[in-house]
Amino acid sequence: MIIEPRLVITMAVICLVGIGVYGLLITRNLIKVIVALQILVKGAILALVLAAELQGQIQLGQSLALTLIVADTIVAVVGLALGLQVRRRVGSLDLRDLSKLKG
Amino acid sequence: MPALLSLGTILLPWMGAVFIWILGDKRHKLVGPVAVVFSTLAALSALYLYPFATSDIVVNLSMGDAFGYLTFRPDGLAVLLTAIATVIGCLAVIFSLDYMRGEHQLPRYYSFILLFIGAMSGLVLTSSLLYLFFFWEITALSSYALISFNNDDPKAVRGGIKALIMTQVGGAGLLAGALAMNSAIGNFEIDRILANPAAIPAGLLAFAAFGFLVAAGAKSAQFPFQTWLPDAMEAPTPISALIHAATMVNAGVYLLARFYPAFAEVPGWKLAVVTVGVVTAFTAALMAITAGDIKRVLAYSTVSQLGYMVYAIGLGAVEAAQFHLLSHAIFKALLFLSAGAVIHSVGTRDILRMGGLGKKMPFIRLAFVIGAMALAGIPVLNGFWSKELILEAGKETGPEWGYFLMLAGAGLTALYTLRLTWMVFYGKPREDLQVHHAGKAMKVALIPLAVGSIFSWLLVTTVTRVSANTMPYHTMVETNIPSLVREVALSPGTWIALAVILLSIGIWMVSHRMRFFEKALSWASRPIKASFGMESINDAIIRVVESAGERLQLSQTGLLSWNLLYVLIALILACIYLAVGA
Repeated sequence: MIIEPRLVITMAVICLVGIGVYGLLITRNLIKVIVALQILVKGAILALVLAAELQGQIQLGQSLALTLIVADTIVAVVGLALGLQVRRRVGSLDLRDLSKLKG
Repeated sequence: MPALLSLGTILLPWMGAVFIWILGDKRHKLVGPVAVVFSTLAALSALYLYPFATSDIVVNLSMGDAFGYLTFRPDGLAVLLTAIATVIGCLAVIFSLDYMRGEHQLPRYYSFILLFIGAMSGLVLTSSLLYLFFFWEITALSSYALISFNNDDPKAVRGGIKALIMTQVGGAGLLAGALAMNSAIGNFEIDRILANPAAIPAGLLAFAAFGFLVAAGAKSAQFPFQTWLPDAMEAPTPISALIHAATMVNAGVYLLARFYPAFAEVPGWKLAVVTVGVVTAFTAALMAITAGDIKRVLAYSTVSQLGYMVYAIGLGAVEAAQFHLLSHAIFKALLFLSAGAVIHSVGTRDILRMGGLGKKMPFIRLAFVIGAMALAGIPVLNGFWSKELILEAGKETGPEWGYFLMLAGAGLTALYTLRLTWMVFYGKPREDLQVHHAGKAMKVALIPLAVGSIFSWLLVTTVTRVSANTMPYHTMVETNIPSLVREVALSPGTWIALAVILLSIGIWMVSHRMRFFEKALSWASRPIKASFGMESINDAIIRVVESAGERLQLSQTGLLSWNLLYVLIALILACIYLAVGA
């Protein structure tokens, strides 16, 4: 049985996005939210490369994917730094506690 | 040139609003003068636009496929209302320099006034129904924001919400009518509707006609929506003068006047407009007699005078309505601003606590008395001429019961005006109130309005000529000063109306200054105070809207997980739809 590479990538995309969305749905911990978000975005990057390959513009997809990886790292860093500050100020990482901080 | 000027009347105030917003709270001393500069520039461009009035479209900007063209057509009606909005807006801003001195958050105040002035100019200048609706809603928004300007006062917040919801009812009517027109003719051009109303299916035309009547009734505080305007008096007084007396409430009258040629043939529409006008004018005059708050009396009288304009449009006397709109804008702004000077000086709005203030503030008394005489319809002031024209049209073409009620309304107007003036400025002081003197900016704003109240009727030649030349779909009668004087002086209707006004003044003098009259009205005072049951209906509408809003709040949890779940469900539904559709 020959394994079609595109099929593998599609499955990977579905798994990654599914795990990310499931994580975002169930977790209330800020750190876990950021981790889930990262998994989700990795799935999206993979989907981008796959789409570019299907269009026959694989170089464009790869270069965009590289840019996205860099940008996404920054998002993760800033998010974690904010999470750290939240932990210090509020004393908790629970999103329900945070949503009580209305102005 | 007209393109530049008509854009200027909208964009100059809006630029000022943005500029003031950028200046912010820290440089609050600069904010007032900047607002004066921008509103004066807008007023100058509106006045300069007047001679360029034309029936052609001068600005035509494409806004993409969905939104059609943003078009401006400065014709006679539009340039007049633009001039009123910007000039009185400019005077209200100048007045605010003194009135609002020392208040907090002035940038919010001034930028919303400027936003309003620009939107009002846009509302009357545009010839696209869709953009008329946009500007209409911007005026409603700034009206709401300014009524609730003192946002730590629950009454002000309540009044603002009430005004917003009630005018939204009208906005819904306008939108429904506009969409009906769009489905009939394929675009939103007002000219196409006016040019050939017979081409539109009768059902759609009637739907739009009554939708617009609801819109006009809600915006102009006509029966049965009239109760939001008195509650809007929690706004700072310059706002009441500008938005709730001289300009925004005229938008409804403008809408009816603009679409009169299209809707005149709709069965029952003219009678409905006349009925709304008569009922409003008469009941609001009754309410004004019993009110005890200086601004509420003026608000009821605004409602009543707007009723006269609506009545005139229902009779087809569009030029009389337009003329009365001009007079009313000037003298009511004068009355409100001088009332504002009184309130600012003595610190109360209760007329039962005032009295004998005239000696302490002779200048304000002079201004107020001029405005009051114009409102009561005393000869040679502007209110006299325009009200006579309306009553004459009513006598000639209207139903008799309407004419009699309107005559009685004119008498009641004289009564409540006299009562108000007397209780505030004459007689013995009922309380020892501390009087601060009116500032210079207040006087600067009052003088042009007082002069205008006396002489603005001399503009009748220009106003009617420009309207007749530039409004091809309306049948505007051109009048000049000698023929106006002859027409009014020789008509028996004038003498009847004057007799009624004098009679009511006489009753007031004889009957111990209203005590008799108030006693006679006492059995009716409870229904009058409840606006003949309309208050509770309007309140019920507001309660329904508010509780619906609270229910909807539950769907906004603010929690990430729930929001994501909604997104996911929507995505799945979209996929199912696509799959089934394919």
